Amino acid sequence: MPTYASLALVAVAVSTLAAAPFYLSDYGVGLLIGMSGYVTLATAWALFSGPTRYVSLATVAFFGIGAYTVAVFSETLPYPLVLLLAAAIGGTVAAVVGLSTLRLAGVYFVIFTFGLAELVRQTVTWWEVNITGTLGRYIFLPFEGRHIYWQLLALLTVTMLIGWLIGRSRIGLALKAIGDDEAVAAHAGIDVTRTKLVLFVLSATIITLVGAIQAPRWTYIEPSIVFNPTVSFLTLIMALLGGPMRLWGPMVGAVPLFLLFEWLSANFPNHFSIFLGLLFILIVFVMPNGVLAKLEGIRKGAAQ
Amino acid sequence: MFEHIVNGLVLGGTYALIAMGLTMQYGIARIMNLAFGDTIIVACFGTYLLVSAFALSPLLALLILVPGAFVFSYAVFLALMQPLVARAPNREALEVDSILVTFGLLFVIQGILLVIFGGAYTSYSYLNVGVNVLGTTVSANRLLAFVMALVFGGALMFVLFRTRWGMMLRAVELAPESAPLYGIDVDRVARYAFAVGGALAASGGVVVSMYQTFTATAGVVFTMKALIVVILGGKGSLIGALIAGIVLGIVETLVAAYIDPGLTLAATYAVFLAILLFRPTGLFGSAA
Amino acid sequence: MTLQLEVANLQKRFGGLVAVNDVNFSLQAGEIVGLLGPNGSGKTTVLNMISGALQADGGRVVFRGTELTRQKPHRIAQHGVARTFQLVRPLPTLTVAENVLVSFAFGRYRHWGREAEKLVEEKLEFVGLEGRGRERVGNLTYIDQKRMELARALASEPSLLLLDEWLAGLNPSELKTGIELVQHLQGAGITILLVEHIMEAVRALCTRCIVMNAGQIIASGPSAEVLQQKEVILAYLGDDHA
Ligand SMILES: Nc1ncnc2c1ncn2[C@@H]1O[C@H](COP(=O)(O)OP(=O)(O)O)[C@@H](O)[C@H]1O
Ligand SMILES: [Mg+2]
Repeated sequence: MPTYASLALVAVAVSTLAAAPFYLSDYGVGLLIGMSGYVTLATAWALFSGPTRYVSLATVAFFGIGAYTVAVFSETLPYPLVLLLAAAIGGTVAAVVGLSTLRLAGVYFVIFTFGLAELVRQTVTWWEVNITGTLGRYIFLPFEGRHIYWQLLALLTVTMLIGWLIGRSRIGLALKAIGDDEAVAAHAGIDVTRTKLVLFVLSATIITLVGAIQAPRWTYIEPSIVFNPTVSFLTLIMALLGGPMRLWGPMVGAVPLFLLFEWLSANFPNHFSIFLGLLFILIVFVMPNGVLAKLEGIRKGAAQ
Repeated sequence: MFEHIVNGLVLGGTYALIAMGLTMQYGIARIMNLAFGDTIIVACFGTYLLVSAFALSPLLALLILVPGAFVFSYAVFLALMQPLVARAPNREALEVDSILVTFGLLFVIQGILLVIFGGAYTSYSYLNVGVNVLGTTVSANRLLAFVMALVFGGALMFVLFRTRWGMMLRAVELAPESAPLYGIDVDRVARYAFAVGGALAASGGVVVSMYQTFTATAGVVFTMKALIVVILGGKGSLIGALIAGIVLGIVETLVAAYIDPGLTLAATYAVFLAILLFRPTGLFGSAA
Repeated sequence: MTLQLEVANLQKRFGGLVAVNDVNFSLQAGEIVGLLGPNGSGKTTVLNMISGALQADGGRVVFRGTELTRQKPHRIAQHGVARTFQLVRPLPTLTVAENVLVSFAFGRYRHWGREAEKLVEEKLEFVGLEGRGRERVGNLTYIDQKRMELARALASEPSLLLLDEWLAGLNPSELKTGIELVQHLQGAGITILLVEHIMEAVRALCTRCIVMNAGQIIASGPSAEVLQQKEVILAYLGDDHA
């Protein structure tokens, strides 16, 4: 059971974060939106990919689906319904991907997700050009930056809560067992395919919602904007840097990397993907299990 | 119709060629290289540069780019992959690590290409004249591309099936655990297989650039197609890759001709989905 | 006597190799039956097909009237068939207790919470790992990992247990404890299929034995008879193990 002290701490942290827009400039709120968006993406990504070690490269496919759903339906449907619809579409795509790959070896999943964003991008482009005859779309929703931020903060809080609950539940244990040895997990009675599927759909649905909530920020949307592969890449680096096996890991990785990314894209707009690529390779070599695990290792080493 | 079949064969020949390269890297060197398609794109731009700036023929570009890619891939293997191989406790761990590192590499290569060439569609004109083949007109560059794919593919087959070195490669592919018992240095074979895979990718890039436009960000699509061809053909089967490449080339060409060119990747994915659902071991792979 | 497991015409090929060729046998409830044979004769492959790790190319496996042949491993585990592995396979990032808890949580009767923790402690005590639940499996000795694996198999509360050379590598005193443990399981009503090379254990435990060679059953019957025959067989096949 959580102690009352830690519950109080979380409540204070969330309300401080929620109050932040009242004290910040528009630029500051913009940063908070980006940061909470990426923290949520990385946390949701790690929900599935962390324990199972099935590396999903499709983050932006779902993110983009969310954004596009909002762009298409925001004028015809009430906003909460649009969010629900986005979640449903993202979840359905994830279910199709999962059902066709997750009963096979992990590499099929990676391959499928690797090209998925490009597939969705090309298909949406084709649809818009040939069927609806418009490539770009405008989103007119009466949201200011802080409204978007609050929604993201709420989604992040829920995501963390889900992660925490999973960590204490049967399904959390099942995921860890699957990550260690699928065959042993199956012989112990775990329905390996179903467990992976449920978690992948959950993770993808949250990612879709991040895209949907952030969409109004752009005002103008087209496939090349919302299906930008850098989003998948950043999410992956962030989760790995912090440590995808721990609840707080992705957040620990996402905050500094987001700031770094902001700085890089402001100062070296053409070179950031080179920097990030190199940084990412370095992370895989130096701390394959993330900063938190590294720190723990150092602490243990010092204690001995 | 016949025209599309011929064009499909040309495209399929190229796919088969690059899929053979990927088979060398994944089947023999055991590295899942997500930056594979970016090697192809680098070769495309390299050819473009040599053709447009130095007025070289693409055939001469081949002589520079293919050895260049061999050396580059060899260096990548030594610097990035060998340490991963050394630290991996098992095959799965190596797979995850190599996926991650080559995913990073992909962004590095793509970033460099974007800085140098920008993000636009690029192409050059070479042998852009029609040739009559059995009653239909095919452009000469496509024909040459097809012949080159055949020559490279044939040469690889010859090496693999008729030389001692090729026998070593196949031994490592079929039985990596027991190959050392026969005095085969598996690490060395892996290094060379990875480098040869890179060289094949580059040759595929030169071939592709002769008849298609390309962009700095198209590497992902080539990697996907090569992977799908490898899986469709059955992992490790070169004959399978050949046939699967041609199947995919024809499917794509027909979709582009009769449905919509914007849906070729969707068609590729449909093929992929069908294999995953009905025959994950591939058309020619043995059920393990 | 009630029929527990029936294996009929079981068949498995790996490429050109026929690893298991037309294997037939059945187990009665409460029996311990030895599955013997030289290395590579197909014993592990038989266990793999019963437990669902491998799909049989032909034949059937029927467990207490239920067809297991094309079922997935987790369904088979939930039906009450548990196994250990020839080379121990601990779940390395989990603690000893969590390793065992996995089977309680997803096995036949799905326990969770306080109750499951208590059951885990009991199982650990049963195999001689009392109080070691919080350790990392990586810190356990090989023998203790084997104990842990037995506890994990028992935690799914099976009525049929498949032991793949579980007693191999134990020293004489450990072997004695090990044999007693298995006898206890029989006392608790569990049917056991025991793949084993150690003749002392086979003699002490098994009422019946099945001998395989090159994928086929070449002898079966009461242990005493089969083991006598086995002398002959060994002389004929060559003795490639102790
Ligand atoms: N997954 C597999 N793939 C290919 N061959 C296998 C596989 N599993 C077992 N074999 C082969 O099948 C035969 C029987 O093996 P196994 O059942 O492990 O024998 P045993 O347990 O009696 O020592 C051996 O020749 C072995 O090499
Ligand atoms: Mg065995």
